[in-house]
Amino acid sequence: MIQFQHVFKSYGRSRNILADINFEVSAGEFVFVSGPSGAGKSTLLKLIAGLEPPTRGSVQVNGQRLEKMRPRSRPYLRRAVGVILQDTHLLFDRSVVDNVILPLVVTGHSRTVALARARAALEKVDLSGKEDMKPIELSGGEQQRLAIARAIVNRPAILIADEPTANLDHASAQRIMKVFQDFNQVGVTTLIASHDHALMSGYASRTLHIDQSRFSDFPGVRA
Amino acid sequence: MKTLLRQHRYALIITLRRLAAQPFSSLANILVMALALALPLLGGTILVSAEPVTRQLSVTPEVTAYLQVDAPETAATQLAQRVRQEQSERVQDVRVMRRADALAELRTNPAWSAALSVLPDNPLPDAVIIRLADGEDLAQRASALAREIGTWERVDRVQLDSAWVQRLEALLRFARIGLLFLAVCVAAVVLATVFNTVRMQALSQREEIGVARLVGATESFVRRPFLYLGALSGAIAAIVAIALARAILAPLNGALASLARSYGAEFALHLPPASLLIVGIVVTAALGALSARWSVTRNTRF
Repeated sequence: MIQFQHVFKSYGRSRNILADINFEVSAGEFVFVSGPSGAGKSTLLKLIAGLEPPTRGSVQVNGQRLEKMRPRSRPYLRRAVGVILQDTHLLFDRSVVDNVILPLVVTGHSRTVALARARAALEKVDLSGKEDMKPIELSGGEQQRLAIARAIVNRPAILIADEPTANLDHASAQRIMKVFQDFNQVGVTTLIASHDHALMSGYASRTLHIDQSRFSDFPGVRA
Repeated sequence: MKTLLRQHRYALIITLRRLAAQPFSSLANILVMALALALPLLGGTILVSAEPVTRQLSVTPEVTAYLQVDAPETAATQLAQRVRQEQSERVQDVRVMRRADALAELRTNPAWSAALSVLPDNPLPDAVIIRLADGEDLAQRASALAREIGTWERVDRVQLDSAWVQRLEALLRFARIGLLFLAVCVAAVVLATVFNTVRMQALSQREEIGVARLVGATESFVRRPFLYLGALSGAIAAIVAIALARAILAPLNGALASLARSYGAEFALHLPPASLLIVGIVVTAALGALSARWSVTRNTRF
């Protein structure tokens, strides 16, 4: 599903943020990406989502080689990858449901179909009844779940999340992780970047650890 | 096909929402473009309205040779014959206007009849009116002939009747070129205004563009609302410009009608035909979309 071969990433002439990264994630896996702040976790996820091209090496996602992909083809890859960034990137001038239907509007679904699927996605993340509220009226945990609803509404094959539980209390973090686990159990390949080892140990089947240019891959322990 | 239509409908709704979200800013931009567009439109209106008038007037130079008042009656006929013989290739028609006929014609004009009635006798001379054959260098040939006839015996004065029409033609030519330059300047104003409007919109919609890209929006999807914004702004500005020009023409035509009537003529300024105005609206909309595309491509590289 995801394959990195000798991947390097740098911006301009700065040092490599990722250096010689090699790993493979199979379909349906639940993988944590761990490492300290600035280690390159977010960059790794951006490469998988096709938001950034690799500087060197080969990145293969959902059967497509990113380094060979034309920029105009990247949006089609992004539709197969649900992305939840640390900053939720919600549109605060729109209602909850209008935020969730955006990926379906982009792909040209009718409003009726889009609304039905958005309501189903909101139900899955336990936000039913809040469709007409504005994101600013939601708590931090609810905003994070709204971002998840938006990421899964397009039924992606891969779900990636960058520090989705940062700044949340333990109960909210557990709730968010349960949502990811539910999606993973129906076959969605899930990658979550986090530095919360306690949280990871409860859910991940595998952990990819990045620390500067060192990269290690070791099995995790599922709860 | 349905998907594309849905995406266009979404882009249009987003555009109208963005325009409505900043009504004063949107109106100010449209008004600036409309005022700029109204200038060449009014200029064009004056030209389009003046052209039929100049077409009605003879642009073929006519040379009128006035004989001395005391010249014998046969002098005019002799002069006409001499012109026919010596200038046969350069002349289309030569006719004699007797002083008595000229006076009778003048008396039919009420403005002159009262003045002529107090004169003891006919002050007008016999005249020979020469119309030149069509061809190149008409103006120069007319001037040369007028100079030559002016030297002939018993000729008091020679007048080149259509010189003012030629001057008017030259003036209209100059105005046409001026109008073209004005139109180019206005096109630049439309381009710059739309470019800047779209730039501001793109910067204020930065977050939304980022999110749209994150969830798989193509660049066409991102650009489309801005293209609609440019096209709609251009089209609305063109329609407002036409309405403005119409509003300005109403009092102008009132004043012009009184002036024209005092010369015994009928003249009014009319906007160009509807088909041309529609073409103008479409061209302005296309110009707006073009500028928007340029701006959004430059200002959404983030």
